[in-house]
Amino acid sequence: MTGVQQDAYIDAVSGMVGLTIAETWRPGVRRFLGIAAGMASVLEAVPLADDDLALAPVYRLPGVTHDR
Amino acid sequence: MTDDPLSPWAGAAVIAAAVRAGRVSAVDVSTAALDRVQALNPGINAYTDVTAARTLQEARAIDAARAAGLPLGPLAGVPFAAKNLFDIAGLPTRAGSRINRDRPPARADATLVTRMNRAGAVLLGALGMGEYAYDFTGENAHDGACRNPHDPARMSGGSSSGSGAATAAGIAPVSLGSDTNGSLRVPASLCGVFSLKPTYGRLSRGGTFPFVDSLDHLGPMARSAQDLALAYDALQGADPADHACTDRPAAPTAAMPPDIRGLRIGVLDGWFQDNAGPEALAAVAAVAAALSPETQILPARFDAAEAVRAAAYLITNSESAAFHLERLRHRAAEFDPDTRDRFLAGALLPAAWVSRAQRVRHWGLHQALALFRSVDILIAAATPCPAPPGGSKLLRLAGRDLPLRPNLGLLAQPFSAIGLPVTTVPVFASGSLPIGVQIIAAPWREDQSLRVARFLEAAGVAVAHAPRPMTPAIPAPAQMAATLP
Repeated sequence: MTGVQQDAYIDAVSGMVGLTIAETWRPGVRRFLGIAAGMASVLEAVPLADDDLALAPVYRLPGVTHDR
Repeated sequence: MTDDPLSPWAGAAVIAAAVRAGRVSAVDVSTAALDRVQALNPGINAYTDVTAARTLQEARAIDAARAAGLPLGPLAGVPFAAKNLFDIAGLPTRAGSRINRDRPPARADATLVTRMNRAGAVLLGALGMGEYAYDFTGENAHDGACRNPHDPARMSGGSSSGSGAATAAGIAPVSLGSDTNGSLRVPASLCGVFSLKPTYGRLSRGGTFPFVDSLDHLGPMARSAQDLALAYDALQGADPADHACTDRPAAPTAAMPPDIRGLRIGVLDGWFQDNAGPEALAAVAAVAAALSPETQILPARFDAAEAVRAAAYLITNSESAAFHLERLRHRAAEFDPDTRDRFLAGALLPAAWVSRAQRVRHWGLHQALALFRSVDILIAAATPCPAPPGGSKLLRLAGRDLPLRPNLGLLAQPFSAIGLPVTTVPVFASGSLPIGVQIIAAPWREDQSLRVARFLEAAGVAVAHAPRPMTPAIPAPAQMAATLP
């Protein structure tokens, strides 16, 4: 993503979620979005199977005996 | 360790035994501890609140119970302190932030504070931390930097910065902290103390201010493996106040002998060695050498580590930003600048990235469980390097200069991401700053991890040293790239 595209993304999505990004904060936000994009690309390389799903917000290890 | 219960280096076991036997009163122990906090904290900046009146009230209750012939708990009269994301009745739970100081005072203590009290421990106060726990450095724009007792010009590590520094400095024999991506293990490593990040779900988070619910763990720090086990035992138990807390029965560890015969120890190589500096590699080698006469030492690879760490990064960034969204909308200017921009970025992430991160986390857990079929314990450095100089912004890793703040904990992140229990043990090379080694076990096997830690301590390889003035001749860690203005 180019810098211009990144700024357009920041403007569009911050508006959608109701955030104001001050100009002095924008370089930091750009930098951390770049780091996050790098992390996402690492995840893309993992060979996940279609049945490998774990989207629940509560994470449990094997051995938890209750089910609240 | 010392047998003098009034020494700053007295361990919890020594203090509790002396109080139970009547060789010293809990009030005398607490008074000495409060005096030390008053004298030393200004140079370390570990405490944000000292609860002196409560401390003495709790100590007097212990002494009264003994005088009445009542049984005393395993931590009778032991002073402790808690990271300021734990609710402490009467204090606003600030979680390292300015914004939270507007909250009303907590009406009750967090579950784990209550459990420490129930075991006889005496609360000294609340400890500083990185804002909202999004930190590996110990630096905080609102409270100032927490300084490393071994060299005040260096970082304490974070986000449980006050916990690591206070315990290392002899002003809290036991402390409580939290660990979402390494926030117990990084300060334990940089300050040279023991920490236990238990299995995800083992210890209740009831009454604490969250960072990332999917990844948050709580645990103790101490200056010995025995004290760590004593505190951990006192903290265990089910709690309906935390939806992730297990109702498995408590599994006491403090009475276990440090017997490690027959354990299979995997020394992690690959990504873990590529991202570790010379001091970190030397510490891991020293630990492996000490374990080798009693155990089987094997090379081990956890090739999912980099991806699992990336998953932890995205889950953390997104989930924490969503949690703070209202504060980011209306009070963003009041955040610490070092956390604000990262939180803001986290609120903008595509949902598809975060969903994939959850799937990769699950996949990574199964890779680790497969690895535990051939080993019982894994070892790896806790941080890539010893304590960086305060204010450092860059970290040199694997030949690259990277932002320090998101990367100082990268070797710790894969294990919290999948919830494995980890004891961090301190290794001091001659004349150098400490660095921690992670003793990682399979889910729910804190007992094995603590047994290895106790063995290493008994062998003299992992021992918390008292801080002493560091000479300027000690070079900066080799991993350190630059200190930016």
